Amino acid sequence: MEIFRQEIILGVIVLYMALCVLIGIWSMGRTRSAGDFFIAGRNLGPIVVSLALFASTLSGFGFVGGPGLVYSVGVSSFWMVVISATAFGLGFFLVAKRIRMIAELRGCMSIPDVIAARYGSELARGLVALTIVLGVLGYLATQILAMSVVMQSILADTESFADISLLSCVALSSAVLVFYCVTGGVIASVYTDVLQGLVMVAAGFLILITAMQVFDGGLREAGEIVLADDSETMMPFGAAGIITSLGWFFVFGIGLAGQPHIVTKMMMNRNLADNRSILPLSLLGYMVSAFLWISIGLVMRAAVVGGSAEPLALPDDAAATFLAMFASPLLAGIVFAALFAAIMSTSDAFLNIGTAAIIHDIPRALRGRPVRNELFCARVVTVILAVVAAGFALFSHYRDATLVALLGAFGWGTFAASLFPVLAIGLNWKRATTAGAVSAVVSALAVNFIVQLAGITLPWGISGGLAAFVTSLVLFFAVSYATPRPRLARDIDRMMDI
Amino acid sequence: MDRSIAGMIFTTVLGMAAILLLIGFTEAPENAAGMAHGEIPAMRMGGDGAARLADIGGLVFAFNCLLLWFTVLLCTLSVSPGKRTPAFFGWMAAVFVTNLIVWRQMYFGHQAFLANGETGWFLGFPAATAWQVYGMWFSGVILIAVYSGGFRSYILSESDERRFEQLLRETRADAEPDSSAD
Repeated sequence: MEIFRQEIILGVIVLYMALCVLIGIWSMGRTRSAGDFFIAGRNLGPIVVSLALFASTLSGFGFVGGPGLVYSVGVSSFWMVVISATAFGLGFFLVAKRIRMIAELRGCMSIPDVIAARYGSELARGLVALTIVLGVLGYLATQILAMSVVMQSILADTESFADISLLSCVALSSAVLVFYCVTGGVIASVYTDVLQGLVMVAAGFLILITAMQVFDGGLREAGEIVLADDSETMMPFGAAGIITSLGWFFVFGIGLAGQPHIVTKMMMNRNLADNRSILPLSLLGYMVSAFLWISIGLVMRAAVVGGSAEPLALPDDAAATFLAMFASPLLAGIVFAALFAAIMSTSDAFLNIGTAAIIHDIPRALRGRPVRNELFCARVVTVILAVVAAGFALFSHYRDATLVALLGAFGWGTFAASLFPVLAIGLNWKRATTAGAVSAVVSALAVNFIVQLAGITLPWGISGGLAAFVTSLVLFFAVSYATPRPRLARDIDRMMDI
Repeated sequence: MDRSIAGMIFTTVLGMAAILLLIGFTEAPENAAGMAHGEIPAMRMGGDGAARLADIGGLVFAFNCLLLWFTVLLCTLSVSPGKRTPAFFGWMAAVFVTNLIVWRQMYFGHQAFLANGETGWFLGFPAATAWQVYGMWFSGVILIAVYSGGFRSYILSESDERRFEQLLRETRADAEPDSSAD
């Protein structure tokens, strides 16, 4: 079996990709309107929404960057994972019911639609749409680049594709993603998410079992090795320190309710009451998949510190090295398929919300009306968006990483800072005003941009995302209180009373 | 009621912002956010943990207490005032107290380790880290149990669903003349 290692890995990945393409073809007949394309006609069952929700939450970062962070800074990065139960709970308390209600009440197809309905402001809609487009470009570029680099490394070890270029890998991986996103819109996206979610759960569980067997004493022995080398790394705040850890707690825990690719899924369920089962199912899937994040990083750090593995050139090599050293070819194939699944499930969500922002929200904010033939335009823009993001990815890889790094700043932290107050609090607090919402979005973008552009390093490991989040929250409340009480539309006012 | 809860949230946010500012103006030791591992590239280490907490430990402890209070307030804000029964407040208090206990055990467990260099182990992790890994997941699960188990009591009752259906019917009826005019 070892002799055919690369072929087995490649076979599992090809099988996974083929299933994604088949789901795209199957979904094409079910996508008849822009509403189907963007929010699946609000007609999805609880299991589908649960899997789609958690699969979108755990991106390629969770499978590559997460173990890399544990390898690099130890327990610090656990904070992004262990906060998930509170994060999901808070997200559902604040957003799930009201966003589903407002979506049905006003026929909303996107987060900027929801913002426009809540605040009665096209300016707020436009700003949020712009934030989403910038964030989508950064996220997509990094995801496509990660997917292509992994694909190249797998293919390079086979005889037939040993010299394959990165450009070919970008084209190959993007083609599958774009195919099912264009043909089936969000319906294909959520049903591939179901497949992707299941693959990720299987990978997380199997990796945990494998990781526990690497050392005779299980994870405890790995922990003891790490503790003996540097005790802080194995203690609750890790090598990165207490402020960085709590910053991640804040941004990842509270900020989940401000992630557009996640909360958009909360608009898609058939029945409002389904939320009671969607929440625990989503969390269960996420927690099992996240075992991979914690266990790979910890075992690889212990293996290197203990001298049983060579030091890694980059922390992000932790997952690939672990698979090469400790996993059977079939398990490695499943985990690589899960990695593609994690990347693609997040990417398709971003393609979808980015397309909605471009063809649905920005025209409405600027001209007061949507474009004609939204469904056709959505398909064209999906392709263009993916091509532009792939272009950014290649430009970043070969010429200058600054552009993608800059757009990458519009990642989780910026979405959390700019959208959490406006959306998660705004849907529950009638006193929130348009001026407060605009202040929150603008300040979040400004703080993140300034920190990134000026290369500012804040003391104690305070992240730009945390500074932006706290600033936007303060301004959201302060400006809302300082401006006259808003007059809400009658239907929104009544909806917020329920 | 919403006014007072929103006011409490704003006050809590101001408190967290003030603490962050105070921390920002406190001189940081060299290893505040970690330092390069002496022997292994691409790996970082924490170094002297006591030095990292010496000047800001109390502030950070208070910051996280406020953060935990903030999450409970946000959940409360999301529940309609009519459904904020004594039982609901009891559950929120349970979530907050559980979170505080976990945070206290984690923080002071780490302090105790820094003082004496000894730690117990629980399911693969040092005691303080085990409180983080298992305790934080558990306290979040209580929140989820309140949401799912108390869904009809606190989130969306059957009469709420009927009210929403009524609102939908009225809104659609109001919209019909406009659409026919188009």
